[in-house]
Amino acid sequence: MKILVIEDEQALLESILAYFTGEGNICEHASDFAAANEKISLYSYDCILLDLGLPGGEGLELLTKLKQLKKRDGVLIISARHSLDDKLAGLDLGADDYLVKPFHLSELKARVSAIIRRKNFDGDNVIHFNEITVDVSAMKINVKGNQVILTKKEFDLLVYFLSNRNKVVTKNAMAEHLWGDEMDLSDDFDFIYTHVKNLRKKLLEAGSADYLRSVYGIGYKFGDI
Amino acid sequence: MKLSNRYNKANILTSIVVLIITGIIYYVVIHFILTEKLDRDLAVEENEINQYVNTFHKLPLPASYLDQQISYKTLSGIISEREFLNTIYFNPKERENEPGRSLITVVHLDGKTIEVTITKSRVESEDLIRIILLITLGITVVLLLSLLLINRFVLNRLWRPFYSILNRMKAFEVTRMDTIEQEPTKIDEFNELNKSVNAMAERVRQDYKELKSFTDNASHEMMTPLAVINSKLDSLLQTESFTAQQGALLEDIYHATGRLSRLHQSLLLLAKIENNLIPDFQNIELKEMVEAKSRQFQELLEKDRLILTENLAPVEVKMSRYLADILLNNLFSNALRHNVSGGHIHIELDQQALTISNSGKARQLQTKIFDRFSKSVDSEGMGLGLAITKQICNLYGFRIDYREENGEHVFTVYFGD
Repeated sequence: MKILVIEDEQALLESILAYFTGEGNICEHASDFAAANEKISLYSYDCILLDLGLPGGEGLELLTKLKQLKKRDGVLIISARHSLDDKLAGLDLGADDYLVKPFHLSELKARVSAIIRRKNFDGDNVIHFNEITVDVSAMKINVKGNQVILTKKEFDLLVYFLSNRNKVVTKNAMAEHLWGDEMDLSDDFDFIYTHVKNLRKKLLEAGSADYLRSVYGIGYKFGDI
Repeated sequence: MKLSNRYNKANILTSIVVLIITGIIYYVVIHFILTEKLDRDLAVEENEINQYVNTFHKLPLPASYLDQQISYKTLSGIISEREFLNTIYFNPKERENEPGRSLITVVHLDGKTIEVTITKSRVESEDLIRIILLITLGITVVLLLSLLLINRFVLNRLWRPFYSILNRMKAFEVTRMDTIEQEPTKIDEFNELNKSVNAMAERVRQDYKELKSFTDNASHEMMTPLAVINSKLDSLLQTESFTAQQGALLEDIYHATGRLSRLHQSLLLLAKIENNLIPDFQNIELKEMVEAKSRQFQELLEKDRLILTENLAPVEVKMSRYLADILLNNLFSNALRHNVSGGHIHIELDQQALTISNSGKARQLQTKIFDRFSKSVDSEGMGLGLAITKQICNLYGFRIDYREENGEHVFTVYFGD
């Protein structure tokens, strides 16, 4: 996957790049409007992470530019502005998704993966991981030829893990992903445990290897053993 | 007491006193003048009698004088003094007793002293005085009436701009960002008042705006460092060389940053609702939303073994979907958070109101429950949820109410007043 990160905050940029690089991903970055403009004109990306407040110009203009160039790059807007207007304007201009700062890197990754899946496979939306095959559009999971029946939450959780494979995902991020960050949840995310336990059990029963590990009580990691 | 009433009172009181005094003076002076005239007439008569007596050496006949009576009395010894006095006499023409003015004088005829009493009717002058008095009284009454009418209608109309300005000031709300309109009037004082009020409102609005934009900007600016902290924490976590103790520390930091970002989002949301910056106004099927919300919270309900019962009627309200979602979120979260393990939640929805009641720990009724940062001691929340809920209700003219009933906490949102 080829990803362009347009972000002027250096520290944040570094974190995003570090999180996304690896596993065959190529990440490029731009820190201001001019550099970003040049990159999107010259190259094509699977997904562009676009910060709206950029030195030298407004991020939304880059969206217009992409449209003019008739590019099919996926765009995810990351903005500190939690404004419905910005969100609607961005989505109207052809952005695929909108994420408000501060966010969890795992959430960012999940959303980027979703955008890329939609773009690349044109509806044939399938994730492969070793013996596990997940058809996201049909909501079907296959492990070694066995159909696995999951609840909606467990399914979302699995897709989330697969998007963040080999990464530690916090319970906090998982809860926000599954229930939305507007929910004003309590700080006690232990109820996540039930879902993770059930998901793990169902996968093991279908014959998958045990990919899920609990990490320091903070979160979980799904990945190669 | 209204200014116009106060003014009326003073005005009318003075008018009455002045008019009464004028009337009295009028009466006395006219009375005096008419009496003088009668007295002069009587003196002329006396003079005529004297001349008659001197010329003809006999007394004139009483009948030869019109409108007056003359009587003679021969005096022996005591000579009374010449004097004017008011009397009552019998008028043979009218056949009745009438008030009169008499002059008692003395003539000397053939060595005899004769007392002459000349009496003239006072009826005419009395009538004149009475008419004058009546006219005066009439004028007084008319004057007072016109004063009252002037006060009532003219003053009311004069003060109309003032009350209009007053009403606009009362209706002024800084958060609504509306202006106090100019009230057209030709009166300088009111124009000045109008200008001052408008200038003041403008200043208040400006200050408020600056304060708001400061909060807004500050919150936005804080989001970026927060995003950095969050992303660094995520990155740090991936290095995976922690002890359990370090893991616990990391978890605490996660909690703190999570709270901080939620706090900021809540504050920004509050500012936005207050400034009415949430645009998507639409018809909301509240029943469906409540049902969806129940599903969304199912895991949390199960975790605390809470029993949820619902009695929902199809209700449509006009509001932003986004805010409706937040409203329900906050009420649900609240019912969950302040519940007891194994407790219950009941939701009632009809055309008038949405009621959420839940079991919970008994606590004193807090009147400040809807204030910002007001929360119970053991609450994990930030104390903004209900403040936001209240603001959303305010925005759409709903009314939210809290009461503690049979050990249950009951929140009711009334659609419309």
